[in-house]
Amino acid sequence: MIQRLLIFLLLIVILNCKESPKTAGLRIVSLSPAMTEVIFAIGAGEYLAGVTTYCDFPDSAKKIYKVGDFSNPSIERIVALKPDFVIINLPEQRKIKNELEKLGIKVFITEPRRLEDIYKEIKELGRIVKKEREADSLMNFMKEIIKPKSKKKKRVYIELSPRPLITIGRDSYLNELIEMAGGENIFADLNKDYPAVKQEEVIMRNPEIIIVFHPEDVVNRLGWGTIRAIKEKRVYRGLNPDYFLRPGPRLVLGFRELEQIFE
Amino acid sequence: MNKLFFLILLLLICISLELIIGPGEFGPEILKLRIYRIVLGIYAGSVLAFCGNILQGLLGNPLVEPYTLGSASGAALGASIGIILFNYANPLFAFAGALFTGFVVFAIARIEGGLLRDRLILAGVVMSFLCSSLVMLIMIAGRKELYEIIYLLMGYLGIVITPQNRLMIIILFIVSSVLVFYLYRYYREFDIIATGTESAVALGIDMQKFAIEVFVVVTLLVSFVVSLVGAIGFVGLVIPHISRMLFGPRHIKNLGGSLFLGASFVLFADALARTFTVYELPAGVITSLFGVPFFIYLYRRQ
Repeated sequence: MIQRLLIFLLLIVILNCKESPKTAGLRIVSLSPAMTEVIFAIGAGEYLAGVTTYCDFPDSAKKIYKVGDFSNPSIERIVALKPDFVIINLPEQRKIKNELEKLGIKVFITEPRRLEDIYKEIKELGRIVKKEREADSLMNFMKEIIKPKSKKKKRVYIELSPRPLITIGRDSYLNELIEMAGGENIFADLNKDYPAVKQEEVIMRNPEIIIVFHPEDVVNRLGWGTIRAIKEKRVYRGLNPDYFLRPGPRLVLGFRELEQIFE
Repeated sequence: MNKLFFLILLLLICISLELIIGPGEFGPEILKLRIYRIVLGIYAGSVLAFCGNILQGLLGNPLVEPYTLGSASGAALGASIGIILFNYANPLFAFAGALFTGFVVFAIARIEGGLLRDRLILAGVVMSFLCSSLVMLIMIAGRKELYEIIYLLMGYLGIVITPQNRLMIIILFIVSSVLVFYLYRYYREFDIIATGTESAVALGIDMQKFAIEVFVVVTLLVSFVVSLVGAIGFVGLVIPHISRMLFGPRHIKNLGGSLFLGASFVLFADALARTFTVYELPAGVITSLFGVPFFIYLYRRQ
């Protein structure tokens, strides 16, 4: 608990550190809530000219001009901001990427499938906004905390949505995060990022731990009574989804939460 | 008699397919789960095919399906409102949406003393478009992803069974059986209407009143199905045609045929959907994929 608090304090310090701009006048539009957090964390928040309505952390991000939401940002609003570059999430924002490129606007692509990709993108972004040192320290800070644990792994099923059952597959950085925290994702063999799976498959794979990211009941489901996690009452809920689904600095908080669950 | 035997055999084969096929060991818990899946499949398939059959006859249009009257997109609209308000697609909201859309379609198509058939189709199509754009609007404004709605619109039988919705499934199953029986009694009227509305009126059927009655019951039935398992496609459109090809134009036979064929077809599609991948595949994807070639084959042979 104390450790968690410390990390949190550290994050707040990092997220609020301001430095005099060396690249004055740089204008960035971020369509990625995670990258918005990264930009603030490396002290480049003042370059942000536009963000999405999803970009709600840190608090200062809420005050920045909104160009639309995650899946439907307005091209006109982006163009009107005359940005130097736009941060695009793939694969969700492929259409926007194509349109912006047609208009001659530079894009920075974020498509993290592994933890290594997240670090690489942070480094690259730091280079572009001339905050290499800050980017490196953020990266090292994250690497310092997100380290593999050498102990017996617990078999875990993570449910993101109940209708259909959506979980985490091999192509998501979360699969790696789970493994490093001491878990073994029961659907790690599926080469998709967020696959929809069958109930029978979950029952057969018999997880020891279930983590739920939605408010619905899991324990009283028909046929689920034989699952070890339910027999041993090891169903966890109430975790902050933003700590996991945003591949940014706050992933370290998610990692700590996972570690505690897998203890 | 031969054909009835064939229908029952087909349904039994599909039930056993659905029971046997699947991953892993076959325990009592898995069995319970599969029995519910079978119940849902029979329920959805038979009701959709039955309603499609009735609507095609009543509206005198072979392109009509249960969703033509707007209930599928209405259910999606209700569900998306539910997602915004409570963070998940509550079946009650889907049901309310389907029912509400049905009511609006009814209000548009209503003329003095009854319903206008052509207007009913047009009103349904128009409302479907309206609901679809409202769904998009709500999801965008509420910053939500659309996959839940996509699964609802394609339909799938793998829903999670909790004590609450188990009760709901049983109640809906019983109520729907009663409603299906209620409509089935009118098989003579449907025969007459199929030969033309003029002759129906001449033979003393109050077309306007009758249309309202059928419309209300069908809307209820379709709304139940859609809110439970989503809008499984194709069954309600083509199974009635296949049933008429096999059993002739008399409704006492082809309505029954639709019930059995619809149930078998959805079970078969779901069994396939479950064997293909470890992923949950909407049964609606398979129904069209396998139903269309089969339909073309039957149609060309005639």
